[in-house]
Amino acid sequence: MTANAIQILVDALSVGGLYALTSLGIGLIFSVMRLANFAHAEFVTVPAYVMFALSGHPALMSIGAAVLTAVALALAVERIAFRPLRRVDPAAMLVASFAVSMLLQKLLVFAVGSRIVPLDPLPMLGEAIRFGGVQVSALKLVTILACVVLLAALTWFLRRTRFGLEMRAAAENFTMSRLLGVRANRVIAIAFALSGVLAAVVAVLFSAQTGFVQPRLGVQLVIVGFVATVIGGLGSLFGAAVGGLAVGAAATLLQAFLPPELRPFREAFLFAAVILVLLVRPQGLFPARGLKERV
Amino acid sequence: MTAHIGTADIGTADRSAPLLEVEAVSVRYGAVTALTAVDLAVGPGEIVAVVGPNGAGKSSLMGVIAGIVAPAAGRVRFRGEDILGQPLERTVRRGIAFVPEGRHVLSGLTVLENLVLGATVRADRAAVAADIDFFLDLFPVLRERRDQPAGRLSGGEQQMLVIARALMSRPALLILDEPSLGLAPRITDRVYETVAEVRGRGVSILVVEQNAARALKAADRTYVLNGGAVRLSGTREALAGHPRFEVAYFGLADAEHEGAGGQEGQEGK
Repeated sequence: MTANAIQILVDALSVGGLYALTSLGIGLIFSVMRLANFAHAEFVTVPAYVMFALSGHPALMSIGAAVLTAVALALAVERIAFRPLRRVDPAAMLVASFAVSMLLQKLLVFAVGSRIVPLDPLPMLGEAIRFGGVQVSALKLVTILACVVLLAALTWFLRRTRFGLEMRAAAENFTMSRLLGVRANRVIAIAFALSGVLAAVVAVLFSAQTGFVQPRLGVQLVIVGFVATVIGGLGSLFGAAVGGLAVGAAATLLQAFLPPELRPFREAFLFAAVILVLLVRPQGLFPARGLKERV
Repeated sequence: MTAHIGTADIGTADRSAPLLEVEAVSVRYGAVTALTAVDLAVGPGEIVAVVGPNGAGKSSLMGVIAGIVAPAAGRVRFRGEDILGQPLERTVRRGIAFVPEGRHVLSGLTVLENLVLGATVRADRAAVAADIDFFLDLFPVLRERRDQPAGRLSGGEQQMLVIARALMSRPALLILDEPSLGLAPRITDRVYETVAEVRGRGVSILVVEQNAARALKAADRTYVLNGGAVRLSGTREALAGHPRFEVAYFGLADAEHEGAGGQEGQEGK
């Protein structure tokens, strides 16, 4: 492989990995609640601003604060905005998630302004690493590594732990799971906490790559994340991860291989591809089992 | 022993300490009335059947007891305590295991994982493991397919799995909604053998059946539900060959039959 090809591969995997983590965070909530949680955007943006506020402190401290903030925010949003609406029309929760998203975005604009602010949560990774003749960014390698570790940890959690088992059961048939004694509130709270952790990690890695934060940071990511979730197959976590990876990788490859004069229209090509995939497989690449299965 | 027509009292010795009491339960879906003032009781160690044609209100009744359907009126008591309006996951913690119509195995989870989930409410790890072993011995086909997704089992195997899964919670009352639906007669036999075995271990059973002959044979007492009301109820002996049984079951023939001489006393509303 040429040096160029390796660099493109690293780019594709690091961008794809970030989208995979984003769509997994969305997919976790969708699989247990059938809710497309638009407020996931702010689960990313708010911890990014927390890191901005802690600029100058040790990286580990600001990253830890970001994770704690995202988890606390996700749990609070679930408790305050979604739980009271769970028994109502599902559309009510969807609208509530828009409302929460808008509210948090506007609060951020109010508190810190809508201008871009600089953020470098991982300054120690600014250097490039050399392998023989190939130069790759340390940050991108760490991003790929972090994505792999998180995916593995999440898989272990879902496959090997008691709560993971309850979560998979709830994702497949919530009512039946409750009849077996699975506590709805607990399973949903755990799903939100996990989606908060994923969002915080995305906030750290994404802002480290872009070098700045602005109030719509999460929205841009989450829109692509939703698309990836749909492509992967709504309700399927494996599908969400693969969909995220595929969309991120496709975006990078388009950037690399489109003729320069077409590059500004990269996203048009990307979403045209998305539409094509959905025309061929309307249920997504890996449709979830039992989406309609309800007692 | 005597049969009772309509919503009249059951009047057996089991009334002294019923495990489950359903009192005057009515269910409405919008303008449609699914159940009208239904009474039902299950005593300790009893097998009780509810039979009736499609749309009689059987599943609504089970839904009320399990906590899925909110009734418009009435009470449901279990061990003397009111259990209506509580979170769904409380039902099994109280000792009621519900196997809904259509079985509902968690199809993406393995057979073993389904059984483990059945014991969600239990903390006695060692005993849970022993119970899993017991059911895998009782249904050897489940042991063979222990690590396969439950969705790959046949209908009969899935029925065995959901019964075993329900019993993993060590319930006092097992509710089976249409356990023979879509199963071959030989497998239905196996299901009812299991029901008898389970009762032998002190579990009460409430079974809903469209297959009335089958249910009558298995149950100590049977309720005939039609048009959302109990039309007839009584012990196996009293109902066997009872002249009004078919009338009550098929409902529509009621008026005609009555015109021909209506011999049996009070009608259900």
